[in-house]
Amino acid sequence: MTRPDADGRDAGVPAGRRPGAPEGEAGRPVRVRPPRPERRIAAAFGLTAAAAIGFAAVYWQGGQTQLEGVLLAVAFAGLAYGLGAWSARLMPQGPFVEEHEPFGSSRRQRAAFAAEFEEDVQAISRRRFLGRALVLAVGALGAALLFPLRSLGPRPGRALYQTPWRAGAQAVTADGRPVRAADLAVGSVLTVFPAGHVEAGDSAALLIRVDADVLRPAPERAGWSPQGLVAHSKLCTHAGCPVGLYEQGSNLLFCPCHQSVFDLLDRARPISGPAARPLPQLPIEITADGYVRARGDFEGPVGPGFWSRPP
Amino acid sequence: MWLVLAVVAGGGLLQLGMAGRTATASQPAQAGGRGQLLYQQSCASCHGQRGEGTERGPSLIGVGAASADFYLSTGRMPLTKEESNPDRAKPAFGRSDIDALVAYVASLDGGPAIPAVDPAAGRLAEGEQLYQENCAACHSATGTGGALTSGQAAPSLARSTPVQVAEAVRVGPGAMPKFPPQALNDPQLDSVAAYVGHLQDGGDRGGYGLGRIGPVTEGLVAWVVGLGLLILIARRLGQDAP
Amino acid sequence: MILRRSARWLDDRLGAASVARTSLSKVFPDHWSFMLGEIALYCFVTLVLTGVFLTFFFEPGTNDVVYHGAYAPLDGARVSAAYASSVRLSFDVRTGLLMRQVHHWAALVFLAAIVVHLCRIFFTGAFRRPRELNWLIGVSMLALSLFNGFSGYSLPDDLLSGVGLRIAYSITLSIPVVGSWLAFLVFGGEFPADQIIHRLFVVHILLVPGLLVGLLAAHIGILVRQKHSQFPGPGRTEHNVVGSKLWPTYATRSTALFCAILAVLLALGGFAQINPIWLYGPFEPSQVSSPAQPDWYIGWVEGALRMYPPWEFRVFGRLVPNPFVPAVLVPGVTFLALYLWPFLEQWLTRDRDAHQLLDRPRDHPVRCAAGAGTLAFYGLLLATASNDVVARLTRVPVASLTWAGRVILLVGPPVAAAATYVVVRALRDSGAEGVLQVSFGQLVAAVRATGRRRPGRGARGQGRRRRPATIAGGSEDR
Repeated sequence: MTRPDADGRDAGVPAGRRPGAPEGEAGRPVRVRPPRPERRIAAAFGLTAAAAIGFAAVYWQGGQTQLEGVLLAVAFAGLAYGLGAWSARLMPQGPFVEEHEPFGSSRRQRAAFAAEFEEDVQAISRRRFLGRALVLAVGALGAALLFPLRSLGPRPGRALYQTPWRAGAQAVTADGRPVRAADLAVGSVLTVFPAGHVEAGDSAALLIRVDADVLRPAPERAGWSPQGLVAHSKLCTHAGCPVGLYEQGSNLLFCPCHQSVFDLLDRARPISGPAARPLPQLPIEITADGYVRARGDFEGPVGPGFWSRPP
Repeated sequence: MWLVLAVVAGGGLLQLGMAGRTATASQPAQAGGRGQLLYQQSCASCHGQRGEGTERGPSLIGVGAASADFYLSTGRMPLTKEESNPDRAKPAFGRSDIDALVAYVASLDGGPAIPAVDPAAGRLAEGEQLYQENCAACHSATGTGGALTSGQAAPSLARSTPVQVAEAVRVGPGAMPKFPPQALNDPQLDSVAAYVGHLQDGGDRGGYGLGRIGPVTEGLVAWVVGLGLLILIARRLGQDAP
Repeated sequence: MILRRSARWLDDRLGAASVARTSLSKVFPDHWSFMLGEIALYCFVTLVLTGVFLTFFFEPGTNDVVYHGAYAPLDGARVSAAYASSVRLSFDVRTGLLMRQVHHWAALVFLAAIVVHLCRIFFTGAFRRPRELNWLIGVSMLALSLFNGFSGYSLPDDLLSGVGLRIAYSITLSIPVVGSWLAFLVFGGEFPADQIIHRLFVVHILLVPGLLVGLLAAHIGILVRQKHSQFPGPGRTEHNVVGSKLWPTYATRSTALFCAILAVLLALGGFAQINPIWLYGPFEPSQVSSPAQPDWYIGWVEGALRMYPPWEFRVFGRLVPNPFVPAVLVPGVTFLALYLWPFLEQWLTRDRDAHQLLDRPRDHPVRCAAGAGTLAFYGLLLATASNDVVARLTRVPVASLTWAGRVILLVGPPVAAAATYVVVRALRDSGAEGVLQVSFGQLVAAVRATGRRRPGRGARGQGRRRRPATIAGGSEDR
């Protein structure tokens, strides 16, 4: 890797004083340093040892995170100081010079390599037909070996288009308790799921009671929100985060991930932030004995967009 | 002469004592009394002479003791400047005055009473679960509060007493939604209050909490303290001039 | 005595004496900025050491278990095995919390060190020939480290990182044509797919570290082969290296740096709480906490997602969802540009010579300007990722901060680039010692000089003309 340079010296030999260099190492500012660094270095190592013993004692006594951290930190700091001072004060400083040859090989070497290689590769390069057959074989095999990747997961199918909500599904809370309309006062919010599907990732819906007078549903959604109770998908249509912040009074839904804001009184349409589509609404009804039930699935696929999502 | 003074002084002291007892007894006050006086002085200009509301402040009829106690004990009312969602501040009134005002507001056609909450009876594990389901989205899982739209914020819970937590849950002050007993019953409320108490004094096990804001402050510390220190150390170990 | 006998024992079998001699006397230059890569390297070592400890206790399962342990609010809670084992690591394993916190702090500092190291390489032109290969390897390591950081903090399956996984799923979904298939295959189904924690675990502890170790070996091997570059100075030429010998001085100094890094990380890990997963709670797909940010090194993607306007469009009737541009295109173009930069600069400056001597940043105002503009762009993206935190602290509406962020993102980087160009050019032309010594008059002169018509292409290479090349790097025969 290193060769003797023109003077026959090996690499890594002290260069000696550079002409015109200031006192001290070549080109470096002279630092004022304390004499007798050995005592400080020894003290630093002593500190390391003491801190290490301290750490062991703390651990043996049951451990405590802050003490463990500070003792180990002190131990390593002592080592760092000691080794740093040792290398800076008590080891050969140089500057040392190492020459190196140009990065590319010499022309002669390249020519020799090319000649030998080409001679040996004739056995392969002249056989064009066999070469192509080999490429075909390896190509087919490589493509075939990609197939097991399919085992990693199920096909998307209809999964992104539907949720477990169905007509007649009873709305329940996260612990499975059926929800009654009377559970919510004006300005209350609950996260509800279809009974039996509390674990499903796309089934969460926000059930909110607003003042029935301010709710003006579109004609095709009349009957979707009885007694001022509205239900929308909780999954943000931007990147799928649960839209967990409901602002009573202004009736806004605020997603904490990227700050999309949805207007609950206007089909949960996005009015700010990067979301581009409203939160799909869940049509609900109130049964005779006051329980909240869905009338069908959400009005469209919930959550973030995807390539084949219908408009 | 001295006798007259003594009688007057004694009568005055008696008055004060009686007033204090009436306030702390938290019985519905009569239409007269200290509560009404304080109301006329501090609240009527925005909330109307008899709590009916004006264009500057909503009606207080039917809001109940819970709402009044919440706003007064957290110092949000009386307002120091006009805003719709005031922050917690130092309460303007002492406890006895607050009780008097609360009693007066409660006398304006009832409303929810101050909930009885007992954190000791709550279960921490249940509280953690309920808090995460219902509260973490706005108030942050760590209890530091979070931003809402239009410059509002869900406040930090660092100084909320159990009673204030319970009042807020039932009343739904400001932008906060309301959780009636059917949604969150009283034992569950005990658990939530207990968990909020735990967040206040038991949460930071890993050292200094850095404001419990999360990766934003952690990243700042990693750059400024972590890498900053290491670059200083590298400069010490290495050379300076190129 | 023992050392000598062992050395002789080894040499009898390996014949290593001459190799050892040349290796140990290798010269490394002493400038402190050359230690930035070492900071990254030693952070990686720390990550591996603490990571092994964590691996002994962590269980990468999404099956429900009941946590029983020292942390009361979660005692008896049904959570995933991954979350329960992480909480147990924090409270029921001695030094567990220290190891977890050191590991996470080390990850944050690791990526910061990589970025600063990349900046040093960039601004001093160390990526120029013959070191393009090392640049490509380095950028690959940056990408891998980013991914390992993300996968690492997603492993405990807590509420904050789980929401991040949800966003990652949505970003994958947003890829045109193949997005839904890719998401279902990578994650193992519809969100929350049960497989993802386990898969991230395998990637995080085996695949990516293995790749990183291999690339690191190549990175360092190439560095040793080509010798370290150096700043111009007395006695330094394009054909030598001036500095300290590897043994004993440089090795000891480097070990001291390693110990210092451990000290800083251990102090942070002991005193500064990081990622308190017991406060965030276990992940539930219907729950979220606010504020919600990823670790800082993913923050630029998060900022892009927040700042990008609500634009979605349809191609042939199919939807290209909103997250695609900020979270797939922007990072893709970023890394493409990073990979291509050495070749782009070569093409722009017509400089195909090999370089052992580094540029002082001031010698290259255009490169400095490009770098400053780029840093400004990504720095601003990172800053805007915290808009909700700023909103809460200042009570400025979030929407206003978002709008301000959008404007600043468009205006800031060009302004930063232009300002940097003027200042660096003034620095170079005036010969001043440092930025603070540049006078206003010199700045004005630099602006005027920029406006003047440049005398042909040569000026772009800062006056460097094509040297009558020795044939593409080949030297004369020896």
